Amino acid sequence: MTAQNTRERLLDVKGLSVEIDGRGGRAVVVDGIDLHVTRGETLGVVGESGCGKSLTMLSLMRLLPNKIKVTKGSADFDGQDLQKMSARALRKVRGGDIGFVFQDPMTSLNPVMKVGDQICEPLLYHRGMSRQDARKRAVELLRLVGIPGPEERLNAYPHELSGGMRQRVMIAIGLACDPKLLIADEPTTALDVTIQAQIVDLVKQLRAKLGMSVVWITHDLALIAGLADRVVVLYAGTVVEDAPVDALFANPSHPYTRGLLASIPTLSDAPAARLSSIGGTPPEPGRRPPGCPFAPRCPVAMDICRKEVPKLEPISSEGSHRAACFAAHKALKAA
Amino acid sequence: MTLVQTNPTIGDEQDRPVNLWRDAWHRLKRNKLAIFGLGIIVLLAFVAIFGPYLTPYDFLSQDLQARNQAPSLSHLFGTDDLGRDVFSRVVYGSRTAFLVAIVVTAIALSIGTALGAVAGFFGDPYDRVIMWLTDMTMSVPNLLLVVVINASLKTPIARWMEAQYMATLNPFYRETIWIDFLLVFGSMALISWPPYARLVRAQVLSIRSRPYITAAMALGLSNRIIMMRYVVPNALGPLIVAVSAGLGTAMVLESAFSFLGVGVNPPTPSWGNMISDGLRVWQHYPHLLAAPAAVLGLASVAFSFLGDGLNDALNPRGTK
Ligand SMILES: Nc1ncnc2c1ncn2[C@@H]1O[C@H](COP(=O)(O)OP(=O)(O)OP(=O)(O)O)[C@@H](O)[C@H]1O
Ligand code: SF4
Ligand SMILES: [Mg+2]
Repeated sequence: MTAQNTRERLLDVKGLSVEIDGRGGRAVVVDGIDLHVTRGETLGVVGESGCGKSLTMLSLMRLLPNKIKVTKGSADFDGQDLQKMSARALRKVRGGDIGFVFQDPMTSLNPVMKVGDQICEPLLYHRGMSRQDARKRAVELLRLVGIPGPEERLNAYPHELSGGMRQRVMIAIGLACDPKLLIADEPTTALDVTIQAQIVDLVKQLRAKLGMSVVWITHDLALIAGLADRVVVLYAGTVVEDAPVDALFANPSHPYTRGLLASIPTLSDAPAARLSSIGGTPPEPGRRPPGCPFAPRCPVAMDICRKEVPKLEPISSEGSHRAACFAAHKALKAA
Repeated sequence: MTLVQTNPTIGDEQDRPVNLWRDAWHRLKRNKLAIFGLGIIVLLAFVAIFGPYLTPYDFLSQDLQARNQAPSLSHLFGTDDLGRDVFSRVVYGSRTAFLVAIVVTAIALSIGTALGAVAGFFGDPYDRVIMWLTDMTMSVPNLLLVVVINASLKTPIARWMEAQYMATLNPFYRETIWIDFLLVFGSMALISWPPYARLVRAQVLSIRSRPYITAAMALGLSNRIIMMRYVVPNALGPLIVAVSAGLGTAMVLESAFSFLGVGVNPPTPSWGNMISDGLRVWQHYPHLLAAPAAVLGLASVAFSFLGDGLNDALNPRGTK
């Protein structure tokens, strides 16, 4: 990799593996993931529920619960490996350079602390702001995320706010210290469609205004189409496809991605029709098949797929579109 | 950064750490029962502290001319079989009640919190051993345990004290009242800690895995701040409720002990031994039972009202 390349990459994750110590032994939930985010870029991370999206992001920041451990890999952020960093240095990054928006707005805010105080928290302890300055900044942030009457909202407890409002508060907290990278873990799944659209618009505006990079985790491909510059598709803890957003939608190369795209609900679809185009279920962690993890569900699986693990390799001439699929590799060679 | 810490503005001082408490106080004020309970407790505490200045008679002074008198202006709660003023004895009994309740609850809370926190934080094998100990203690009938402790320890300790006195001539060893208190406090604390241990353990376990703790860590906050501002305030509500109820329970427990003759011994006035004395003659002199029993009941109810009120007040989710 060239020096130019390294400098462009704000976040560069290589070969990251995460294992869970469970009753049935150790289970690999994230299996050697490679992904990167360049400066100013929005990366969409998609995949079915349970494919390891949240654990990947938590493991980057070393926020995994007790029995879950990173076993391999590195995660360079701004040229420093987050996995090797001292706890003290890591604390500076957390909430400072990397803002995090959590999946569940109902349980991710401290119920006995006013939202204003929670927004002030990173400002007080990272920036060493005075209390008055922090409160002023908190009002600004609430206005930024589109909360009406921010001065009064500062004194509200989380339970006094609606789900959408809480999600906005969480985004405000994530943005408090002008992070270089915002990691948003399905920030809109708990919300209804109108509010979803508002929040997506909001993040787009903020990204343009603040020039930050964004990692947006979702299992909603339709949403990612209008938001991301590049998309990484996860399946059973591995990256199966990584492509610029237009290339992904124009030319999905991994059979799993094709299945996902085919299952995007259109207005006429009944909700039950979702995901109907991919039969079967993902392998449970710890029971993944040898070879390609998607093989049992893959409509075009070949013999080699059940024996060898396909690597994530370029499938376009300029190399920005990559897939981990023998069929896709073969198609490139044939072309 | 240091400027902010060494030079806090006035707004800083007033605003920050007291928020939770000030808001809780506002919510508590709206709860009539809790305020009633608080009022009773404050009154009783006042009486306990300033008792000697309030009582018209000494709790020991006997007036054999005025035995078993019904309540009157000169003896508000009447007099007992030795002509002692019942009101004065109830007032002095409140000192015993508060002393026992506070000391016992403090000991039980310390033991329970320490063991519960260790069990919750460190998990097995500590958890298993501590929970086994907790279950064991809870499975032995309380009063049985206390009677056994008293019966088996009182005489040996008294003998030992006597021997110490003989050897040193230190008058401290003659004060048998300390044996009473030691045994009462010790045995009551011994049976009172398990609920605190369970509660603290459950709180630690559940709060530790809440998403808002992970979220706080993702903000880069230090463990100390997360402990102080995220874990403790969320664990506090149930614990304060338990302590408030525990104080009331300890008062009732002390009375039960006195009733069984294993509590604070006469002539030290305690509501419990007044009730047990009163029970013997209640058909003839109901005031001897009614006065201490009513005060004990009032105290116990007051603590539980206050506990419930504090629970609602400290938990902003619960209120409308
Ligand atoms: N605390 C935990 N203990 C045990 N297993 C866990 C835990 N958290 C997650 N897992 C398992 O790890 C796998 C990946 O979980 P993860 O939360 O990363 O999925 P996800 O892609 O974020 O799914 P979703 O879209 O539902 O949020 C799942 O199979 C899940 O069951
Ligand atoms: S590698 Fe084989 S099994 Fe896996 S997705 Fe490609 S074709 Fe299907
Ligand atoms: Mg998730």
